[in-house]
Amino acid sequence: MTFYELVQNSLRDSLGTSIPAFAPELLLCATIVMLLLGRMFSGGRSNLAYVIMMVGCLAAFVVAWRTDAPEKPVEIFTGMLVHDSFALFMRRLLLLFVILFTSFTRLSGTPDRQTATEFYTLILGATLGMCLMVSANHMLIVFLGIEMASVPSYALVGVIKERRVSAEAALKFAVFGGGAAGVMLYGISLLVGTLGTAHLPTMSVRLAELLGSSAGSEYHPILVLAGLMIMVGFAFKLSAVPFHFWTPDVFEGATAEVAAFLSIASKAAALALLLRVTLGLGHVPSTLDTPTTVPVRYAVSEDAGTATAESASVSGLVTDSNAALLPARQYSAWLIALFAAVTCTFGNLAAYGQDNMKRLLAYSTIAHAGYMLMPVAAAILLAGTDPEASRFTVAAIGFYIAVYLFMNLGAFALVAFLRNELGSEQLPDYAGLARRSPGFVICAAVVMFSLVGLPPLAGFAAKFAIFAQTYEAGLLSLVVIGVLNTLFSLFYYLRVVKTMVLDPEPEGRPAPTIRIWSNAGFYCALIAVLLVALGVFWNPLFAEAQFAASMLLP
Amino acid sequence: MNNELALLNNYLVVGAVLFGIGAIGFLSRRNMIVMFLAAEMMLQGISVSLVAWSRYHNDFGGQMFVVFIITVAACEAAIALALILMLFRASGSLDIAVWHHLREANQPAYVDEEIPEPPPGDTAAWPRLVPAGIEPEIDREDTDHRPHV
Repeated sequence: MTFYELVQNSLRDSLGTSIPAFAPELLLCATIVMLLLGRMFSGGRSNLAYVIMMVGCLAAFVVAWRTDAPEKPVEIFTGMLVHDSFALFMRRLLLLFVILFTSFTRLSGTPDRQTATEFYTLILGATLGMCLMVSANHMLIVFLGIEMASVPSYALVGVIKERRVSAEAALKFAVFGGGAAGVMLYGISLLVGTLGTAHLPTMSVRLAELLGSSAGSEYHPILVLAGLMIMVGFAFKLSAVPFHFWTPDVFEGATAEVAAFLSIASKAAALALLLRVTLGLGHVPSTLDTPTTVPVRYAVSEDAGTATAESASVSGLVTDSNAALLPARQYSAWLIALFAAVTCTFGNLAAYGQDNMKRLLAYSTIAHAGYMLMPVAAAILLAGTDPEASRFTVAAIGFYIAVYLFMNLGAFALVAFLRNELGSEQLPDYAGLARRSPGFVICAAVVMFSLVGLPPLAGFAAKFAIFAQTYEAGLLSLVVIGVLNTLFSLFYYLRVVKTMVLDPEPEGRPAPTIRIWSNAGFYCALIAVLLVALGVFWNPLFAEAQFAASMLLP
Repeated sequence: MNNELALLNNYLVVGAVLFGIGAIGFLSRRNMIVMFLAAEMMLQGISVSLVAWSRYHNDFGGQMFVVFIITVAACEAAIALALILMLFRASGSLDIAVWHHLREANQPAYVDEEIPEPPPGDTAAWPRLVPAGIEPEIDREDTDHRPHV
């Protein structure tokens, strides 16, 4: 291939398929540049940052909405990213979340005009990383996406420089994040080095070869260690026990807005990435159609430098390969199931005695990470036996993530609005709220009951879907643990509602009045109505999630 | 072939040792700058082993990986140093054990050894950056008395 042809091919690949599929992310990049330029001219005295942020996110969302999903998964940027319905679904969700989040920060007024530019720039940077995470097809992008999402988050946590606790929270987050990223990267280097490639579909082919051959057994300890180390990185991002220690401290130290961002966007992207990596490594795709994916094994001969290539025909070997990958699937599924059971139980137990609302919601986030990991284990186990059921499980996870987005945004919005009125985030200070702002308390109750998973709210539909699919995979013990935990979580979510409704108003300090027709009240009401509506008419969203999952496990 | 394998093994051992030293330093040190240096050492250990794998497999994927790792490490170091500067201004100490205010409500702080109080009367005015886009306030007194060099 001449240099001219190389340039032509690269141009055709970028301009023809990659750039159009990547347009929402490019719009986010443009918005970052515009924000910084706007700051230069406005000097932080107007609402320009908010306006630019809103316009940029809306434009990115509209472009993502109008992008059609391809017929089958398409690899873009020479196999670094994959463009399919799952990536599109997750990116739309993330962009929708950023829009809702921006309006929420506007209503709660937390990044003031001086800090708004930094705040929104960091949010957009992290969102860009998350968009890369959900469409990753290469271990490099896995690492880069996680780092691009994490590094701005460290700064976001400490964005209010005057608060000592914010600084401490940022320190704890950065220390944990740096350590976890290092361990994960070592795991990636072991896996990538052993398999000789970092391209996920090719890795699955090599892994099947390695596990299928008799000589492969000497590599088992390395692979087990690599899997464990990569899981450390994911557990940190998902705040799974025992890598959850940062979560309550960071949530308490950060503002409620930043905590909402970390608890929703970061979790959603990490979960999608976990699905991509585990399903990608546990299943050999039957349609390897791009030239980059034809497995070519280089063996270094005596005189290093001249490589001999032996290529194998793929399609005939797929069934054998998928059988050979059974140990890999079982290992990752049991590891994730263990994390899920411990995480969910610990999160619910620790949330019980919390008085600080943000700490309580942090433990609730940990518990929900546990619930969300359960169907991941199920999806991996089903991928070998029944791909259709596995796809359905992924659809259930997508649906849960979408519902979780609204529930937790609602919960953190309540905390932020009450903080503005009360100047406190302690649960006992919420006493007697129901007498003065009944509409607001009803919204709070809807959000809390949805977090428990009571019918007819959206939380119930989502939880039912994931538990049903976990049962489908034969993980009965996990379902039992999940249901027991749900019962237990009822107590601490109900305690929030009980404090607001039954406890008498404290002496000398009247409870605040938040009218439902104020901006804040209306925002909460909107989320509550959405939660009720999704609980009853869950079909359109679930159909969307099912379409999203339809292109996985090709 | 044996030569190549031996070479790979040697480099992987060096990489693992670097990673291990970094991990131990990261977990055992209390000085924030040393902690982040140790974290960087972990990343360098990974880079060494990736380059070794890259040579063994005779493709440049691993080397490309390393370029990205160095970039990301630089970003992390920038954030970490900014954070350390902010924390040092707030507490006057680089000891990480000073920062134990965020914890469970009913748990005592874990202090394995009394931290010396920062020296009293240290009210040095640290230079501050003005927010971008705002005309800085110029201290007349300061400009008038500045010796011209």
